[in-house]
Amino acid sequence: MNNSTAIQGRFGSLIVTVFFFIAGIVALYDTMSYSDTDSQVFPQTVAIGLILFTSISLVTQFLKPSESEGFGAGIWWRRVLLIVSMLLACGAMPYVGFLPAGVIAFVGGLIAAMHDRWTVRTVLIYWGSGIVVMVAFFTLFKFALQVPLP
Amino acid sequence: MDFGSFLSALTLLNIALALFGVVAGTIIGSIPGLTATMAVAVLVPITFSMEPASALILLGAIYTGAIYGGAYAAILLNTPGTPSAIATTFDGYPMAKRGDGDLAVALACFASVFGGLVGALALLFLAPPLASVALAFGPVEYFWLSIFGLSLIASLSNGNLMKGLVGGAFGMLLSTVGVAEISADIRLTFGSQTMIGGFDVVGALIGLYCIPVLIDLCAVPDRHLKVEEGVQKVRIGEAARIAMKSKFNLVRSSVIGTLVGILPGAGGSVAGLVAYSEAKRTAKPEQKFGEGEADGIIATESANNATVGGGFIPTLVLGIPGTPPDAVILGALLVQGVRTGPSLFQDGGSIVYTFIYGLLIATVLMLPAGLLIGRYAYKSIVTIPKAVLVPAVGFMTIIGTFAIRNSISDVIIMICLGVFGWVVGRFGFAASPIVLGLILGPIAEQGFVQSWTIGAATNNLTGMFFGRPISQAILAFTILTLLVPFILARKQRKAATGAKS
Repeated sequence: MNNSTAIQGRFGSLIVTVFFFIAGIVALYDTMSYSDTDSQVFPQTVAIGLILFTSISLVTQFLKPSESEGFGAGIWWRRVLLIVSMLLACGAMPYVGFLPAGVIAFVGGLIAAMHDRWTVRTVLIYWGSGIVVMVAFFTLFKFALQVPLP
Repeated sequence: MDFGSFLSALTLLNIALALFGVVAGTIIGSIPGLTATMAVAVLVPITFSMEPASALILLGAIYTGAIYGGAYAAILLNTPGTPSAIATTFDGYPMAKRGDGDLAVALACFASVFGGLVGALALLFLAPPLASVALAFGPVEYFWLSIFGLSLIASLSNGNLMKGLVGGAFGMLLSTVGVAEISADIRLTFGSQTMIGGFDVVGALIGLYCIPVLIDLCAVPDRHLKVEEGVQKVRIGEAARIAMKSKFNLVRSSVIGTLVGILPGAGGSVAGLVAYSEAKRTAKPEQKFGEGEADGIIATESANNATVGGGFIPTLVLGIPGTPPDAVILGALLVQGVRTGPSLFQDGGSIVYTFIYGLLIATVLMLPAGLLIGRYAYKSIVTIPKAVLVPAVGFMTIIGTFAIRNSISDVIIMICLGVFGWVVGRFGFAASPIVLGLILGPIAEQGFVQSWTIGAATNNLTGMFFGRPISQAILAFTILTLLVPFILARKQRKAATGAKS
């Protein structure tokens, strides 16, 4: 692990811990508004536990910084493309239907995961198999399992 | 128990139904998002025109097949096909990554068959006495059982207990989002309509386990699974030898699975986690759980399949479903006109025993069917180019999550949780403690609140939580599980110091 990765790992670990600490505070604040003690007692206990654990974790991280790999190697645009295409598919689903929305997610994922050079053969095989997979699953869920896909 | 029932189970129709059920269940269970409950529920209507015993055999076979099928996606994609296979990911995926996915699949099959047989034999011979165990468990025992499951965090924290505890607590908070079951307060939604339904466990599982893998896979050009040239078959002999060597683990985990299966509402995921925890607690120093240890797969897969037979015990004897799929099967039985309850084993003995023998036959048939399907599943995953595998699995996560509650919001939550899981995972906060909290949170809350209410009403809170023998036993195991890693680490340090000096 090189120096910049170690710094990224330590700094990122601290930020994530602070996020969990804030989540605990927010949850604890939210529990104050519940009308019934029965629904209050458990999340309140857990939120206090979360605040306690994150506090100890923060102290230990300052005293002895933890080693984590950070974001590591990898191409960022591919990661972002995969997630954005999946979220885009969700957004488009009510308007264009499940299968066309699925195509958006599939194409995004295909481009994101394709590290080799595109050839006519790979285009035909990969896109063809993608269509087969999507149609097969769509048919299975929509008609055999009766899932009301949009 | 009579020989006539055994012969009835051996008819060509019943054997064909058992085989069909196992194959269909295995395939459905292997698809992330389709749980054993859904597999059974989807295929229930085709049993309405059948004889009750044949219908039960088909449903039991689907159930047992689906629980086993969940292991494929857990091992090959790091995504539990069903929640029962959560703990299978801990060692299954590391094994697949280092090139032993074929061995892991075969091990899962052997362990599942063994566990399934133990559960079915318990149902055959010990159903009425074991059913009373279910009645001995009150809310406080459920609370301590969930805390026992949470103690597994100590071993899932990748060397950082505090980060594991933070993840576990955060997962438990996530489990409280939405409408409270006990008093209908709306909790932690911050005014969002989308969050009112809370986090669906299966969707969360898919997100937290599968999306991070996809993000990592697409970012680098390396192969998705390591595979040695020419090795593309399931290593049956080797798996059988390892399973034989771990016979004590097999038996113990199967017994745990049967007992947890008897407890209504606990299910295969809890059984798998408890068995994994026990296997890890009693492991030899050289065994590295969480890094591709065969015993981890053996423990979880034998335990989760043993819950099938175990779950049928309270379902048939008391009319209380032991696991969610049992509830669906109970409904199907009522449609068939079969009344479950203490007298079923006398009044409807022939149906019950034919079913139990049928379940045994289905479990045995799972060995060849499972190994064959496992071989093709492994070959398919290994040979599919990564560029096709990533979007295909991504598509499956979307359709699988949508199918659970027909909700696009669930899909969005699944993707966001996946990204969240990936980010925090990169900084040492493993997904498993969050998942543990999410699964065990509702069981813990219900047990805790009910026990608190009873304890407060009887003015004996301490006695309620700490005075019951079963609670004390579970609490003792929990403390032992938490302490063992520290004791072992201390022993190793002492040994290392001794070797140096």
